[in-house]
Amino acid sequence: MTQTLEVGERFARFDSSHAVDAPASATQTRTKFGTFAITFGIAFAILYTAFERLNWPLFTYHPVSGLLEFGRQPAGIGPPMFWYGWIVLALIASSVVSAVATVVPEQWLRRATVFCCALAALWPASLTGLRIFIVDWATFDADFLNSAWVAAIPGFVAAAAITYYVPSRLAERVWTSWLLIMPLGGLVILGYSLQQYFVR
Amino acid sequence: MNIITSIMREDTFWSILLFIHFLLAVGLLAAITLQAVFVLMPARQVAGNFVDRGPVPAAAYTALIIILYVAQSLMGAWIYVKYRTYVRIPMEQLRHWWTVGSFEFKEHIIAMGLGLLPAYWYFWQQPRSVEHATVRKWVTVFLLISVWYSFIVGHVANDFRGVGS
Repeated sequence: MTQTLEVGERFARFDSSHAVDAPASATQTRTKFGTFAITFGIAFAILYTAFERLNWPLFTYHPVSGLLEFGRQPAGIGPPMFWYGWIVLALIASSVVSAVATVVPEQWLRRATVFCCALAALWPASLTGLRIFIVDWATFDADFLNSAWVAAIPGFVAAAAITYYVPSRLAERVWTSWLLIMPLGGLVILGYSLQQYFVR
Repeated sequence: MNIITSIMREDTFWSILLFIHFLLAVGLLAAITLQAVFVLMPARQVAGNFVDRGPVPAAAYTALIIILYVAQSLMGAWIYVKYRTYVRIPMEQLRHWWTVGSFEFKEHIIAMGLGLLPAYWYFWQQPRSVEHATVRKWVTVFLLISVWYSFIVGHVANDFRGVGS
């Protein structure tokens, strides 16, 4: 009888420890999924915009011939379609980024998000700035500056400086806001790139 | 594709597909609009402890909206093949640039909406949590705008060359 009670007690203890652990692990899973989902939303907006602007599709589809080719390919018979390639590449790349985000300490993740979002805005901005400088201001042959990789240097430096000076609390507070800022920013850039259709 | 065209005419097949795309769009529009109205218009305190709420809680629409959004994106991606060759080329020849440009933008807004779906699902898992209330509201509104925009632009493109045009 005593033994039965002891075993029963041990089982009860085992159960209660599960009861305590279960919600904790559920919360942890939910938090991990939340980190994945929010990072995915931010990363997808940045990467999709970048792939579209740089025209980096994972594959090209030729609708007339039904041919699917790896990477960016020129028009064959009929027009080539890149949209599928941009979306699939952005989905894969943002899934990888988001999976990495789930194992990175939260504070690092918030800072990395600030850095990536600042870079996403400053890199094209500095490229545009350089192009304006070459056309309107330069008194020497500055064509070598007209490169995405040259523009990357001031972009990286400025993004790093912003990341360094942004207070941790602010980085934490605005983290979920990037989820809306980046898609809207991406749409502004993509919409602007379509102006040729609206000003004819 | 060859099996389908052996059963029916190719044009008929694309028209059926386009019509299903339209029906699913109406369902998606209804669900996202109801949910958006719920988040944009807080529940009213009518009298005493009674709160005036809709018969179906907004969170109940979340799974349906995600399924319909993904299904619609896939279906739209399929129909897009026909659009690119059969609709867009004559559209450009007839200089309907606004329609072409608006449709191009539709691709992008749908893609951005797809990217937000995991977060949207996550935020609606706890519909009463105050922590993510603002972002939950605006992500829902973003999806609402993307669905309405796509519906209207898709309808215009269909009027140019589609079912009943």
